[in-house]
Amino acid sequence: MLAVGAFMLFAAFIAFNKVYDIASPSTVVQSAAWFGVGDDKFEPVKVQTTEQTLSSNINWSIAIFVLLVVLVIANVFDISGLAARLSGKENLSGNNVNKYIMIIFLILGFIGVYWEFSHHGKYTLLRNSSSEHGVEYDSMFNVTLILTMIVFVITQALLFWFSFKYAKSPNRKAVYHAHNNKLEVFWTLIPAIVLTFLVLKGHQTWRAITYNADKSKSQNIEIFAYQFGWKARYAGADKILGAADYKYISGANPLGIAVKSEVEKLKLELDTAIMNDRKALKDLNSSLSQLRIQLELYKGLADRTNVVITDKEIARIVSGEVKDELEESIRRKSKQLERMKAIEDNKTVFATMFNNAADDDVISTEIHLIENRPVTFIFRSRDIIHSAFLPYFRVQMNVVPGMMTQFTFTPTKSTTKIRSEKNDNTFDYYLYCNKICGTSHYNMKIKVIIESESAYNTWMQSQKTAFGKEAAPMAVPVSLPSDTTQMRLDSLPVNKLQRLTSR
Amino acid sequence: MSTATIQTGHANHDAHEHQEPSFVRKYIFSTDHKMISKQFLITGIIMGCLGMFMSVLFRLQLAWPDQSFGFMETILGTWAKDGKLDPNFYMALVTIHGTIMVFYVLTAGLSGTFSNLLIPLQVGARDMASPFMNMLSYWFFFISSVTLLSSFFIETGPASSGWTVYPPLSALPKAMPGSGLGTTLWLLAIVFFIVSSLLGGINYISTILNMRTKGMSMNRMPLTLWAFFFTAILGVLSFPVLLGGALFLIFDRSFGTSFYLSDIYLQGIGALTNVGGSPILYQHLFWFLGHPEVYIILLPALGITSEVIATNARKPIFGYTAMVISLMAIAFLSFIVWGHHMFITGMNPFLGTVFMYVTLIIAVPSAVKTFNYIATLWKGNIRFTPAMLFAIGLVSFFISGGLTGIYLGNSALDINLHDTYFVVAHFHLVMGSAAIFGMMSGIYHWFPRMFGKMMNNTLGYFHFWFTFIAAYMVFFPMHFMGLAGVPRRYYQFTLIPEFGVWMDVNVLITVSAIIGALAQILFLYNFFYSIFKGKKAVQNPWESNTLEWTAPVKHLHGNWPGAIPTVYRGAYEYSRPDREEDFYPQHIPGNDNEHVDDHGYILPTPVRKEIPVAEKPATVFFTSFSRLFSFKRA
Repeated sequence: MLAVGAFMLFAAFIAFNKVYDIASPSTVVQSAAWFGVGDDKFEPVKVQTTEQTLSSNINWSIAIFVLLVVLVIANVFDISGLAARLSGKENLSGNNVNKYIMIIFLILGFIGVYWEFSHHGKYTLLRNSSSEHGVEYDSMFNVTLILTMIVFVITQALLFWFSFKYAKSPNRKAVYHAHNNKLEVFWTLIPAIVLTFLVLKGHQTWRAITYNADKSKSQNIEIFAYQFGWKARYAGADKILGAADYKYISGANPLGIAVKSEVEKLKLELDTAIMNDRKALKDLNSSLSQLRIQLELYKGLADRTNVVITDKEIARIVSGEVKDELEESIRRKSKQLERMKAIEDNKTVFATMFNNAADDDVISTEIHLIENRPVTFIFRSRDIIHSAFLPYFRVQMNVVPGMMTQFTFTPTKSTTKIRSEKNDNTFDYYLYCNKICGTSHYNMKIKVIIESESAYNTWMQSQKTAFGKEAAPMAVPVSLPSDTTQMRLDSLPVNKLQRLTSR
Repeated sequence: MSTATIQTGHANHDAHEHQEPSFVRKYIFSTDHKMISKQFLITGIIMGCLGMFMSVLFRLQLAWPDQSFGFMETILGTWAKDGKLDPNFYMALVTIHGTIMVFYVLTAGLSGTFSNLLIPLQVGARDMASPFMNMLSYWFFFISSVTLLSSFFIETGPASSGWTVYPPLSALPKAMPGSGLGTTLWLLAIVFFIVSSLLGGINYISTILNMRTKGMSMNRMPLTLWAFFFTAILGVLSFPVLLGGALFLIFDRSFGTSFYLSDIYLQGIGALTNVGGSPILYQHLFWFLGHPEVYIILLPALGITSEVIATNARKPIFGYTAMVISLMAIAFLSFIVWGHHMFITGMNPFLGTVFMYVTLIIAVPSAVKTFNYIATLWKGNIRFTPAMLFAIGLVSFFISGGLTGIYLGNSALDINLHDTYFVVAHFHLVMGSAAIFGMMSGIYHWFPRMFGKMMNNTLGYFHFWFTFIAAYMVFFPMHFMGLAGVPRRYYQFTLIPEFGVWMDVNVLITVSAIIGALAQILFLYNFFYSIFKGKKAVQNPWESNTLEWTAPVKHLHGNWPGAIPTVYRGAYEYSRPDREEDFYPQHIPGNDNEHVDDHGYILPTPVRKEIPVAEKPATVFFTSFSRLFSFKRA
């Protein structure tokens, strides 16, 4: 029975290997490696996913094979049980097999844990942080790791060892032992003391990261998040980040920074958009009839796509959806204008916001930081919650719309240094998005470059200010077309009509 | 319906009018707690299979991101064009997998099944305090399940902003397709679910407080009942808060309010008019439920395991009082730790400190529970029934997953671990796998009680070992991915060169997940086959002490044909030295005044106060409440 149990484990592992091997070539080495007894040189192969020729049939056939084996062995079990029953004894075969699997699992499990630590541990960021506070973070982590691993090993070992040792034996009775106050007090106090220590050390680390950071000395950089990308805004020559507001965001001004000329442009844009919306609203009936005429024409054609599109458009108008959308759009834009005007009317607010500090701000699609210079990231979101995650620097902070958040830290390891350390010349730090934010969440990242002060200055000089007098306006990224244009193209029947009739 | 009116006509000794209920009254709109528990269980199993299937689908995507799977297009249609999962649908799968597993399987399927089955049977009651409410509870749950699943059949797809459904992503239909009708259905489903859970919870609490049989004082209750009791209290106190949160979200989505929205500019729309709200408010409301919810899931599993381990180790559960107190401590603390899900939302760091303190305190009662489980095994006479194996598996998962909680509860360490695979590994072990194992343990243990048949042990063994090993193979490597900073909820990792080293680990995880999923076929086969063709069960197959094994297996309305048994002692008198047999059922009158001390020595008869049978619910409430704080072994 023991052999059967061992064989089942073996079969399971073989099944893993079989499927696994399809993705990578060196069968023998890896089989041994998965068993946790392999050589130390094993390194997971960087799989060229495009070259994979996995057939899901193999997957399934192995699975079915394993299932069949299970059923066969199940029958063997039943027969042995039957034999025991016939001979009038209590059937303890299942009990004994499980007892041995318990101890095998314990041993294999510990080997597996060890193997995981030795083989995957090196890809983790357990040591070698690239920031100043990261050192404290890592020591906190290591203390916790050591303590929890001790508890892990002891408790798991006892659990499975007792299961093995005290498995049922017909000539023994369990000990009636309901409680032991001393023992219970002991194992309440020990965790309590250990946790007190962890809490205090955790508190110390947390304070060091969040309170003690010297914000007065650090350089402020705004990190702006939107679906699906990041932008960094530098203060420019005056070393002051200008004010910004979501109301000022436009195609030409993707971060909504407070630059007078841009705001005036946006006001005009909004006025025009409202006028267009009103006109579309008034013309709704005539557009409907035109669409209907158009539909009749399309029905004569073999191609049905236009019929479907036009049909949908008509349905949207008839159901009042388009009307609602237009009214909502007018209401929203009027409100926006109203609020913009309210800011202008309030002299103090206006003066603080439009103090020309934003004029020389530099907006970049890469984050450049100076080595060993404290920096404060000020996070602002355009639309929904994102999370700025820089694992190498032990930095993470949510980016919340309507609420500025910040994180101060000091990068200590330049990109060149980490490249030589990792022996990888293509390595780059990235800031990832780590809060689910929509379709392209998995590709929302921005490169972070840590460099010397001189390299930083050279880079900074090559940057143009966003709306500076001497500098040309920064090119508007393709992913950010003018919102109003986008609106009209998307939802207004007028344009669709124009497009349809112009053919 | 005609059969309902036919009197069976035989002489009736009970006060009950005995009549054969119609098919509909018996199997569908049943008010019998045993039938309702079966309904919860079967619905839970179906939902569980769906949730697991979804996880296999998105695991395939993660392991072979560039591979085309023809079968996916066959079953998913446009969601998997050319056999490749759509990124939006990937999010939807992740979201609905989480929702189904957390709410529909591990809350309703676990707590709903076993609270319904065991509370009346173990306290010695004819049925729940309000059988009708109990029936409503199931049917609200059913409506909720249908509503949730219906979102797979709409054009824009199901909710896809994660199972936490954080606004503004979930509040703005233009932010992603799933935030349209799909999220409306999700919210509706959750509202129904909350109603169901409240109807159930109130019932469980009142049954336990008011309907215990003669002699069943609170401190003689099996630990299952204590666990269900605290679970129900947690649910009743925390679910209404989620209801509030969900209603605000519905208002924001449909009526233009700004509870959670402020200063938003949406691509293709422009600046929204909402100002003054805060998305963080939703997170507070959500996690005020969300954290107790974790324990709503886990406590019943711990209760079941306590019962199963004591029964099969043939030993009294070690430290009954400590077990109850630690359950109570966990339940209480779970209400004041919700902020540990929000360390990096930008809330005041001082709050982070406070939440870290209270969070790490939870480790103390959890550690006590673990040690007590292990001490119960010590010098026992362990019988490895499948139920026992799953219970041991739970303890193992509880240790592995619980220890990583010490990292995540630490606000400083959470900075780099938040929302990475480390978190995925942590909660899948400690509340996912552990609670599923508790549920499995319960199913194997009480199957004879539910269906009068035995399940096949051998298949049960295979089911356990395959699931156990597969679960560790799936979740253990994830810790290391998390420590390398791999974020969760990413559709694929091929676009980030740094994560290339994890490709083979992803393959390993997926293959393990598939093997784990296939192992459940063994269970499904065993379960459904045994219902119809299983070996007939004897009255008390596990030689257990608790009351449910004294009721006849046949489904009787009112559970016991005659009088309800009286209880003479606690539930864990196994292997008493003064007894020939190694168990001593609660209902057997005996030389009970003999008091046995820790080491099995028989002490002089202690004077025992008779417990007054209170008539009024209010009296019962206060007496039982006062008894909560006086843990003398009877």
